[in-house]
Amino acid sequence: MDEPQRQRLHALLRVAQLRQLLLQRRLRKGGHGGGPAPRRACSARGRARRGRTDSNPVPQDGRPPSHPATRGQRAASTGRQEGQATQRPPSGAGGRRAAHARPVGEARQDAADARCLFVRGGACAVRATATFLTALSPLISLGLFVAPRTRAVPPSLPAREGLTPGAGRRCPAARPRGRALRLSSEGEPAGPSHPGHPAMAVFDTPQEAFGALRPACVQLTKAQTVENVAQLEARLAAVGAGALQELQEYVLFPLRFALKVPGPRRERVVQRVLQCLSAVLLGTRVRSPRLLRELLSELCSCLPAPHGAPAPAEELQLAAVRALLALMHSAQGDAIVALYQPSCLPLLGFAVSLLLGLAERERAKQIKLAALECLQVLLLQCECQEHRCLREEEAQRCGDLFASFLPGVSIALSRIIAGDVKQGHRTTVSAIRLFYQIVGLVMADEQLARVPKQKEKPSVEQSRIAELIVHRGPEWSRSTSEKLSLLLRKTVELSSVHSHWKVRLELVELVQHLLSNCRLSLVDSFTHLLKALVGLVNDENSEVQSRCNEVLRGIAEQQVIAQSRALADVLSENLHSLATALPRLMNSQDDTGKFSTLSLLLGYLKLLGPKVNVVLNSVSHLHRLSKALMQVLELDVTDVKIVEDRRWGCVGGYDPSGSVQHGVQKGRCQRKYFRFFTEEKIFQLLQQVCRVLGYYGNIYLLVDHFMGLYSESAVYRKQAAMVLNELIAGAAGVGVDVLQEREVSLSMDDLKGSIMSILEEYTDQANWYLVTSIDTEEVSHEQLSVPRSGLAALPGAASSSILPSPEQHITTRTMNSNVWQLCIQLEGVGCFAAVLGREFRLLLLSALYPVLEKAGDKTLLISETAQGTLVDICEACGYDSVQSLINENSDYLVNGISLNLRQLAHQPHAAQVLGTMLRHSDASLLPLVEDVIQDVLSALDQSYNDQASTFLGVLHSLMAALVQWFGLSCSKEHQQRQAAEGQSRTLSHIQQEITSQEVERFFLDYIKQKQIAEGNFSDSGDEEADEVSPLAKPEPSNCDTEGETPLPSHAQLAKDVMERCIHLLSDRNLRVRLKVLDVLELCVTVLHPHGNHLLPMAHRVWPALVTRLISDDPLAVLRAFKVLCTLAQKCGDFLRQRFSKDVLPKLTSSLLSQAAASARAGPVYNHTLAYKLQLAVLQGLGSLCEKLDMGESDLNKVADACLVYLSAKQPMKLQEAAQSVFRHLMRVDPDSTWLFLTEVCCPHPYEPPHASLQPVKLRGMGRQRNEFTDSILLLLEELQQRESAGAQRAPPP
Amino acid sequence: MLDHSKLRGITSKGLLPCPPCCPCRFALPVAWMAQPPPDPHFVLRGTGAAVHALHFSCGGGEPDIPVLFSGSENGFIHVWNLKTHRVDAALDGHGRKSVCGLKTMDGKERLLSQGRDQRICLWDLAEGRTSVTDSVFTENVGFCRCSLLKVAEGRWLMATAAKALEEVQVLELPSKTSVCTLKPEVGAKLGMPMCLKLWQGSCGSQPSLLAGYEDGSVLLWNLSTGKVLSQLICHQEPVMSLDFDSEKAKGISGSSEKVLSIWSLNEQQNLQVQKTHRLVNAGISDITIRPDKKILATAGWDHRIRIFGWKKLKPLAVLDYHTATVHSVSFSDHKSPSDRLLAAGAKDHRISIWSIYTQT
Repeated sequence: MDEPQRQRLHALLRVAQLRQLLLQRRLRKGGHGGGPAPRRACSARGRARRGRTDSNPVPQDGRPPSHPATRGQRAASTGRQEGQATQRPPSGAGGRRAAHARPVGEARQDAADARCLFVRGGACAVRATATFLTALSPLISLGLFVAPRTRAVPPSLPAREGLTPGAGRRCPAARPRGRALRLSSEGEPAGPSHPGHPAMAVFDTPQEAFGALRPACVQLTKAQTVENVAQLEARLAAVGAGALQELQEYVLFPLRFALKVPGPRRERVVQRVLQCLSAVLLGTRVRSPRLLRELLSELCSCLPAPHGAPAPAEELQLAAVRALLALMHSAQGDAIVALYQPSCLPLLGFAVSLLLGLAERERAKQIKLAALECLQVLLLQCECQEHRCLREEEAQRCGDLFASFLPGVSIALSRIIAGDVKQGHRTTVSAIRLFYQIVGLVMADEQLARVPKQKEKPSVEQSRIAELIVHRGPEWSRSTSEKLSLLLRKTVELSSVHSHWKVRLELVELVQHLLSNCRLSLVDSFTHLLKALVGLVNDENSEVQSRCNEVLRGIAEQQVIAQSRALADVLSENLHSLATALPRLMNSQDDTGKFSTLSLLLGYLKLLGPKVNVVLNSVSHLHRLSKALMQVLELDVTDVKIVEDRRWGCVGGYDPSGSVQHGVQKGRCQRKYFRFFTEEKIFQLLQQVCRVLGYYGNIYLLVDHFMGLYSESAVYRKQAAMVLNELIAGAAGVGVDVLQEREVSLSMDDLKGSIMSILEEYTDQANWYLVTSIDTEEVSHEQLSVPRSGLAALPGAASSSILPSPEQHITTRTMNSNVWQLCIQLEGVGCFAAVLGREFRLLLLSALYPVLEKAGDKTLLISETAQGTLVDICEACGYDSVQSLINENSDYLVNGISLNLRQLAHQPHAAQVLGTMLRHSDASLLPLVEDVIQDVLSALDQSYNDQASTFLGVLHSLMAALVQWFGLSCSKEHQQRQAAEGQSRTLSHIQQEITSQEVERFFLDYIKQKQIAEGNFSDSGDEEADEVSPLAKPEPSNCDTEGETPLPSHAQLAKDVMERCIHLLSDRNLRVRLKVLDVLELCVTVLHPHGNHLLPMAHRVWPALVTRLISDDPLAVLRAFKVLCTLAQKCGDFLRQRFSKDVLPKLTSSLLSQAAASARAGPVYNHTLAYKLQLAVLQGLGSLCEKLDMGESDLNKVADACLVYLSAKQPMKLQEAAQSVFRHLMRVDPDSTWLFLTEVCCPHPYEPPHASLQPVKLRGMGRQRNEFTDSILLLLEELQQRESAGAQRAPPP
Repeated sequence: MLDHSKLRGITSKGLLPCPPCCPCRFALPVAWMAQPPPDPHFVLRGTGAAVHALHFSCGGGEPDIPVLFSGSENGFIHVWNLKTHRVDAALDGHGRKSVCGLKTMDGKERLLSQGRDQRICLWDLAEGRTSVTDSVFTENVGFCRCSLLKVAEGRWLMATAAKALEEVQVLELPSKTSVCTLKPEVGAKLGMPMCLKLWQGSCGSQPSLLAGYEDGSVLLWNLSTGKVLSQLICHQEPVMSLDFDSEKAKGISGSSEKVLSIWSLNEQQNLQVQKTHRLVNAGISDITIRPDKKILATAGWDHRIRIFGWKKLKPLAVLDYHTATVHSVSFSDHKSPSDRLLAAGAKDHRISIWSIYTQT
């Protein structure tokens, strides 16, 4: 095709219809001189007729023709029929004919015109006029040929009237649905022997059939009435398929004749004829090419011409289309082959254009659908089995033919697709299907590949037709694909958001079909096609989803992308633009939009598959993509709680339940909050994106790039770390959902190499020690030791930047960000472990220590994440528990700790690690860490000035661990003793109660003495034995052996720690002192069973402890009391004297002296130090007295000192504290306490039971109610209750 | 002036910060002083006793795991995997007597160990075997470590103190035939040999033996004649250790006193003192020159490892980690210089591994 022609094609495509109309008019004018007038008349009549039909909706078959107009028309046409059939008038004479004869002639004329004009899609419409006559000639010859044969048939067979009603029943109702049903049932070859008419006689031989049909045919030929048609139809029903085939042409003749009858058309007759025709066609096969051609053109003439005459009734149109459909289905073999020859191009084009017009303009769905279906058949794309697949050369030829229609067809179809939603999804679906079928056929790569470069020289006789045929050369295909690309884009855009899922499903098919057939020719369109396909992966309809996945998988499996560079280019181009737009989209879209955008991204990556690698090699792609990811993954770090959440348990005592084994479950990943989205599934998509990247991409390249981003800016750091983690997971193939396997799976060594480099970066000082809290205690070290992130970017700065940068302002935001950063890195470590499995054991050397360090972090989030990481590592490396992980790798940890201890200023965390180890392990760890504990102690010795607090934390956890591991024995024995003591004490009380009278006591003493004298005290079970035994029992074993055997290691450690505590007890820092007191208490607990060692230590501790008790902060006093109590449990005697000598006098005197002040003071006093001190002393004193088992005089001193605080004038708290002292005293010596209290105030008069006894006189009796009364009454009440309860509990002796 | 190349890397973390316009001679010492003392790369624990001998075997290719042998006082030889930093195997072949010397013969499969049970054992460690294939009974009760020299493919010379007090015996391995017995002249009063070093000059020349004696003298023996070539009294106390650089014909010896002595061997085969270096604390138990002859390391009784530049005996670093006498120092023979390590074994049962090679 030459250049101007192509241009014209392009231009004419849009105005094809218009042009056609114009040309028709011109032809008509030129041809028969008739102006537009008859046309107008015709159309007016048509309108009127139509209106009538509409207003009179009873077109029942078998009904006698009562309508005058119909009758008149019929008469006219019957009268005309002879001449019309025999002497074919030239079309030019049509103008002179009677007005009522016009329609048929005109219709034929129009048909011929249009045929010529439209065949080439209007491309060379002008030239086509010249071929008009040529094109028409078959029609003319047809008419001449058919007529004689018609006459030759003698109408001798009598009409079988009885069959008419049956036929009537079979005949369709006016409603389209009914007709459709019937048609479909007749569509089967066994139509005539329909099961609905079992009684019907069947004429199987042609002779019989002929006999049966002839009358009806003759009748019909004579008069074209509905009844006649119905009669024929009825007869036909009784004719066997074989016979009918024989008589096909014979039967067809009257029908065709009825269609061609000159004169005004009677729609109902025509419709009925068409129905009958389709029935015949469905029952038979059209084998003659000529017949096919003729029928085709005749049927086409029944269809309304586009923009032409007023459209006939819908029923008629439908019947015509169906007849056409039946025709095409019944056409067979040679007939088909002959039809699809260049010579038939005009005819085909005509049909196509008519059908397209119908499909496009007609309102009724039924017609649209039928027209589309018909088109499908006409373009040889029918899906039914009868139509075998085209052979290669046939397909090639058809492709050549249809190429001429492609512009028109595609435009019309895309218009239908873009049509109103009201047209129904089925129309759209079939339009889409037809669209891709025809495009797929014409633009098929394999066909185009075979098209010769140069157009063949057409032989002379065919030249005219040949000129109509498009040469599908490269230029043509390029320009066509450009235009198709526009159409496809529009189509895809519209249908991908179509509300009906079937349309979307069909779109998937479209993509699939085109992708498999027109990969090369339509490469430009694939941007949109793939976008649509990938986007539909997440369609709400599961069927669309699964089909889409299937198609994608198919594409991947066939390596469509991998093999075609062009497609890969398209995809990577898409990827690039999407990555560019991603941040913007993420900002503007809602979550659903974001989801679909990201699924698109993921889909592209998946489709690219192994080609991802190639794409990523392009710097700009990688850059875009990574930046997009960085921006999308930005975390929301404004949550204040993250920083605030602290881990408890380290400072306050040892919490065994806090150990990892119990606390952490698997699979917990801290929920992250992102700036740009909230939905978890979006994050999962992003994860998938990263994983797919890792799966296909070059891991070295990716890791390198994202590491670059990681270190480039603190802004990207978290995201980059997140991406890196996922990349590694993806590279290892963990949790990746891909369409096709990668070519070479990554070797373990490569993976390990990448992981090692990432790990190194993560655990680098600058990235691992981030400021996450502003604890006054810690921040001093942190600031000292942590190189700022800004500095850290400089190489070498990490090691040199010891100088703090105090001007750096640490906001909550920064800290939050740091917390997240660490969490992500920790998660990364866990992920790496999972990826490497047992191989990770080798990396434990460097990885375990940092993780453990973070497990001891004070920020809850970090420590939890780190513990999760530990669990991950455990699982990956095949350890049973965190404990065994720590124990088996204690050498690595110990090494780390000991090395880091050497540089405390830089590594204040070393001690924390030890703490964490101890917390998470058991006694079996001790021998492994003894070594390093010694290191800690010696490090403490060297730097207890500034690092004491850090170390004390460790010592505390150490001692707490020791108490937990080894304390069981001590505490058990301790408890035993306590229980025994308590028992004995109650016993003694009870006995005192019972032997309250002097005589009885004496008597009992006597008996006891006697028993002892008899050497029989072992089974007596009295108080003396009880008191002695528990103390004595553990003692001998310890006392005897302690001298010789060395202390067990834990006790030795406790001793060593205690020694350090002695020095630290007088530290300037209160916090330190408090911690020391805590540690001291634990030390004492551990050393409990080893009295010989404890006592000397206690001796050494004493002076410092006294100072704490006497003159220190109230907090410290309180703790010191606690220590003293613990100490007292073991070495009561040892301390009692010292206490009463060194401490008690000062305490009591200060209490007494302060009492006056506190009694006077107002509520403000509660905030003073003096008050706190008083309170502390009072709170501690009671239990201390009890533990020390102090003598009477000391108790009296205490009681005296505390009495003043029972006064109602004292602040409430102090009163309560004083009461608690007395409660303790009650336990030690209830009698003297009772006496003491009653001396002050006695509520009851005690009557002697017998007059001979002296009346009891207590000083407190009868006193006025005073300030002490309330408290004392309360205490006495309690005492009373205790006594009675004790009496009840204790068995009588 | 400091040799920059030697200094770099003597830090805990990679490179020393060196300004871009590096006028090293002034900037570096200052920068170095500002550095915290370097830390060990790793510390191996678990020998359970004082470590007396160390020997690296890291020359193998990639799949080969670098290994460090350590011999401890309790008679065990531990094979440390330098990838996992854990003991791969513990060899018990010296009747729980201290192991004082370790050498390998061509790769880590054949190990030569010398114990205080007066035996020198040859171990076969290939494919996980841990058997003694051969042993030599030296009958020597001293502390003197033997010296091994490969003279040809499959042929080694081993010098070891002999049964007689002052004698040194040279054997050929693996045949165990005696090459010569080196007896000092009558009345020389050298005392026991304390340390031995077999060496061979440029190819083809005769192997010689340097021996340090109890009286503080170092003797150069000619193995073929069995005669003393030269004698140098360089210490007042017994020579505890010596090492010799055959390229520069220069050696160094340390004794229990506070002096390191550098001596050289001139063309006339005479030893002469070149320089002495005074130490702060007395006692050197081991001296090793790095195979590239750039620096040397000493193991001190003062718990410290000292690094010197070999050229001028410039002190470069004091590695302070151990808490007891360091008994042995050893440089690794990694193929890639960046992997190379220094190991020191001490009485505190620990072996410290240091990475002090330049990164370049």
